[in-house]
Amino acid sequence: MALDPTAVGLALVGAGIAIGAAGIGTGIAQAQIGAAAVGATAEDPKMFGKGLTLMVLPETIVIFGFVVAFLIYGLV
Amino acid sequence: MLKPEEMTRVVVVGSIESLDATIECLYELGVLHLIDFTEQDEEFRIGQPLPTASDTSQKLLKLRSIIRSLEIEDHKPARAMHVHDIRSRMDQALVTLDLNTSSKADSRQKIQALVREKEGEIRALEPIVPFAIPVELFDGYDNLSSFVGICKTDPSAALTSKVAECEVFADARKSDVVVVAFVKSEGRTEASKILAEHGFQEIKLPKVKGDPDEIVVQLRKQIKELEADLARIEADLDAIRKQFADFIISSDEHLSIEILKAETPLRIATSANSFIIDGWAPSHRVDEIRTALDTMCCGLAFIETVSPEKSEETPVKLKNPKPVKPFEFFINLVSTPKYEEIDPTLVLFITFPLFFGFMIGDLGFGLSLVVLGAMIRWKFKSSPDLLKLGAIILAGGFMASVFGLFVFAEAFGVPFHPPVENPDEHSWEVIANIPIHPLLDKMRDSMEMIAISLVAGWIHLTVGFTFGFVNHYPHSKKHAVGKIAWLLVLFGLFAEMMVIAGDATQTSHFMNSTVLSPIPDVSADMIGIKVSMPALGLIVAGVLGIVVFEGAMALTEVVGVFTNLVSYARLAAMAIGKGAVAVAFNFMLFPMIFESGNIVVAILGVLALFVSQAFFVFFIGALSSGIQAIRLNYVEFFLKFFEGGGTEFSPLSYERKYSVITK
Repeated sequence: MALDPTAVGLALVGAGIAIGAAGIGTGIAQAQIGAAAVGATAEDPKMFGKGLTLMVLPETIVIFGFVVAFLIYGLV
Repeated sequence: MLKPEEMTRVVVVGSIESLDATIECLYELGVLHLIDFTEQDEEFRIGQPLPTASDTSQKLLKLRSIIRSLEIEDHKPARAMHVHDIRSRMDQALVTLDLNTSSKADSRQKIQALVREKEGEIRALEPIVPFAIPVELFDGYDNLSSFVGICKTDPSAALTSKVAECEVFADARKSDVVVVAFVKSEGRTEASKILAEHGFQEIKLPKVKGDPDEIVVQLRKQIKELEADLARIEADLDAIRKQFADFIISSDEHLSIEILKAETPLRIATSANSFIIDGWAPSHRVDEIRTALDTMCCGLAFIETVSPEKSEETPVKLKNPKPVKPFEFFINLVSTPKYEEIDPTLVLFITFPLFFGFMIGDLGFGLSLVVLGAMIRWKFKSSPDLLKLGAIILAGGFMASVFGLFVFAEAFGVPFHPPVENPDEHSWEVIANIPIHPLLDKMRDSMEMIAISLVAGWIHLTVGFTFGFVNHYPHSKKHAVGKIAWLLVLFGLFAEMMVIAGDATQTSHFMNSTVLSPIPDVSADMIGIKVSMPALGLIVAGVLGIVVFEGAMALTEVVGVFTNLVSYARLAAMAIGKGAVAVAFNFMLFPMIFESGNIVVAILGVLALFVSQAFFVFFIGALSSGIQAIRLNYVEFFLKFFEGGGTEFSPLSYERKYSVITK
């Protein structure tokens, strides 16, 4: 369907906000977990695997952002 | 594969006379995992170290101190020495070394201390040389106080104006001023205040007499003499090093092994006439131990297999074919699996390179990674961890090349052929016409790539839940059935996603017409979304199953299955993101290189392109793709079944690098 250019533009801005805001959220979460994980690993190198697992957990948030962004992108 | 090596609980018993022969035999074989003996009773006590222990540790102690004196801690002998030679030379060599090194090392230390002391004196005297005041005149007055030191700025003017009756000498140097001030005792406080304002740092003069210049010359001469002595001692020590270094390091290794063996009785049970060693051994090697004990202990010690008690934990030795072995590195990073658990190394061996390859998906970067992996393996032969890492990078690079060549048809972010819609885009056609066309275009087929990622996620998670079922089945049928309920939810969710995608992507079309074709096409529109009734039914059935078998609390995790599945979209995200970064750099820099017409600009462009591609795309891309590929395994996959916390199999054994046993 032919969409109004303004609507397309707004939709794309929405896609940008989706992934951008999700990225910021992930960043805030990872900053704290990362610091704690590095501390734990410094005390006991065996914690590396667990630390990495916890560290990457919030990444799913940005993946959600990515998926939503592409769904919007697919619509326009 | 999937299961660790089968272990048998064994007991080695024998007469106390054969204890040392038995220990020797077990260390030689290196297959018995010892269980430390702790519960002493009337009959059995913890054993005494073998008689050789104390003598050996004394020798080792001496040897270690000699190693320190000679500073040969990092020496690596060119070839291994026969244990027989080490033993025959040991006593005499220790006496010789002791005589020659300890006294020399002592003298060296004393001379070094003396040199340091004299250098300190020179440092203190040098600043006052220009004043030519004999050193003894700086101190020892009843009514006069003297200040000797260094100021940041010249305090002479302030001192002479504010302190009555004082004499100040100053010598301005590059960045500071040397100050000597004599003041009457009553002006002392005022003077030190003024000096402090100018950043005064006191110099402690040595207790010597005479002209400072002459003393400094004298001290320099003495240092030179001491250094000559030091060089003579060093030469002597060097000669000893040349002659004995190999022997010392080989002996150090041999004696350490001897002590390891001699102290083993501290971990086993002994009575007045017998000993008992509890342990585990790989099942197929028990007979080997039996035969070895028969020949080496003349029938005085023998091995029995027993059935383990429930509380005993079986040590785990992962068993995988050679190509899969390097991936055990990832398992060890988390935790050793329990003996009863499935060892997921094989799945990592398959999924890690596939995920990694899909995310990189570039022939040029893939081949570079292959080269990098091969180089790591070649350069770091001695480090087992780096060897494994090299193999992993090599495998990932290989799959990235395969994806880059056959699926994405691109190298270094540049496609083999320009896309149909944009025939002017840069491509490798300029150089060669490669007869391969892309199956997927990273920048244009993003929905297709997300769909592929979801399918990969569904398969991976299904394997995870299946492993969970197998792990739980032997001890809790209820939890095992719970995993089937989770599988139903997962399948329902996946089917629903594919129904929503419908024919929008080839992948969903393919899945709908093959794997999902038995599901009747009954759907209803809910809030604008097409909901497949059978899929919804599966989800509801699964959720009910979860409540029944795992309790209502598990409901909170149901959304997690959706999260897990969507999480695999990172495969597409990384591939698209990395592709976009490469394309962006190429887009910005290619005009500079090919169209500027200025050779300097073109060279700068090539350099910028190389740096940006090497750092942002290759290095960061490979690192983050590797982390994402392993994360999908650690988080999404492992959490479905993996507990870990097993005991690693560590048999009685030793490694000889610089000594060899003479039979």
